[in-house]
Amino acid sequence: MVAAGLKPVADLAPVAIAIDGVTKRFGGLTALENVTADINDREFVSILGPSGCGKSTLLRILAGLVGCEEGGIDIFGGRVSGPRDDVGVVFQTSNLLPWLNIEANLRLGLEIRRGKAVARAADIGPMVETLGLKGFEKHFPHQLSGGMRHRVAIGQTLLCDPRVLLMDEPFGALDALTRDRLNMELLRIWQRDAKTVVLITHSIAEAVLLSDRVLVMSERPGRVIRDVTIDLPRPRDPSKTRESAAFGEYVVELSRLMGVG
Amino acid sequence: MTGTIRRAAEALLFCVALIILWEGGVRLFEVKPYLLPSLSAIAEETWRARAQLWQHSLVTLGEVALGFAFATVLGVALAALIFFVPLAKRTLYPFVVALQSIPKIGLAPIIVVWCGYGLASKVTMAFLFAFFPIVITTLGGLASTPAHLEEHFRALGAKPWASFWRLRVPSALPSFVDGAKVAMPLAVIGAIVGEFVGSNDGLGNLILIATGSSQTALSFSALLVVTGLSLALFYLIEALGRLVWWRQG
Repeated sequence: MVAAGLKPVADLAPVAIAIDGVTKRFGGLTALENVTADINDREFVSILGPSGCGKSTLLRILAGLVGCEEGGIDIFGGRVSGPRDDVGVVFQTSNLLPWLNIEANLRLGLEIRRGKAVARAADIGPMVETLGLKGFEKHFPHQLSGGMRHRVAIGQTLLCDPRVLLMDEPFGALDALTRDRLNMELLRIWQRDAKTVVLITHSIAEAVLLSDRVLVMSERPGRVIRDVTIDLPRPRDPSKTRESAAFGEYVVELSRLMGVG
Repeated sequence: MTGTIRRAAEALLFCVALIILWEGGVRLFEVKPYLLPSLSAIAEETWRARAQLWQHSLVTLGEVALGFAFATVLGVALAALIFFVPLAKRTLYPFVVALQSIPKIGLAPIIVVWCGYGLASKVTMAFLFAFFPIVITTLGGLASTPAHLEEHFRALGAKPWASFWRLRVPSALPSFVDGAKVAMPLAVIGAIVGEFVGSNDGLGNLILIATGSSQTALSFSALLVVTGLSLALFYLIEALGRLVWWRQG
């Protein structure tokens, strides 16, 4: 069965992200307490926890957007002191600029990180194709559905080709069908481009479906209370994977850990 | 469609009724022309004095345009300063708000003493009237940049300059356009007030001279032209403001 605290299979893979005793306080409130975890290169890890457990704060610290009181984070051996170019973030809201069309929004990340010339020269065709945005390049964000806007936001981050992809409930606001489709697109891209993905979610099923490993966080103050390796075969598929007995067992196990089972 | 035509027809009919009432009333009760000239007399006078009106219009237009331009440049600069420099927010901002409370009409004689009867005093008055709405709305626009977009730019590692041009300026533009729409007619009022207090030409000067010499019809003509000028300038801003189309979204 699920062995808690078991190290991931790919023991030889180098550590991409080392979270080392991170404690974060907001005034007298402790949001995160001594959070420690290693995430390996090319691993897909979900961070699962009840709302208010500080998982979004943890992602902001990983992204170098906020600091922490104690401990620290190393990404590829370097201490995080601010936003890094090899880390891409996808937030809960789709973050498109309403005055730029889809093509310009897709190129915006590249433009800011590597300059106008690189952004203009980039071939965004394959990404447009992958994300099913063909024919919408000249549209503006308000003309697109919520799901499409999310795809554009994800595409913008992926075009920067970051080694580490941090995602904060990127599919939280979407309907189940769109969510399934984007989940699968994300898995395909992750496998093809060999990225390290950290996904923040409060959906147990989503975490099990996508991840190599799920870190379960406690209620505030947030701590990692369990590190569960998801040993399901890949490639995964929403309908088939969910029907398997093992999937159900993982969901039950994680539900129990989160106190909802 | 027929509804639109109908509504337009109603408004037009009301205007015609007003014109008939004015024209007929003046003729019927034999109102003295220096009190209230008939519409036809005003129209006649406007045509007769067209060259004069045109010349004075150009003077006033120049004053308004310069005053508005200065108000825009300095207003946006001051708003940015207050927004980005905490010290300026603590010192300049309350000062600007206090200054705004001074009735600017009361300042006009002093401005004329300082700047003379020429162009400068009128440009200053137009500037003073237009300046505050632009500062306040630009400030509001800069502050209205969505926090999640700011964080997104930070996560992308955007330099302050890139954040400013790519994010803050476009976010502030809709509010700035609203401010400019308020400021433009105010700039016209400022210029006219300046001309009233001390000037040698301009439409405000013409109104004053004409009224003083009992040429009431000419006063009305000048007033008509001022109104037209103000409307035209407002719609110019309105049209330019449409370039900032994302203000509706």
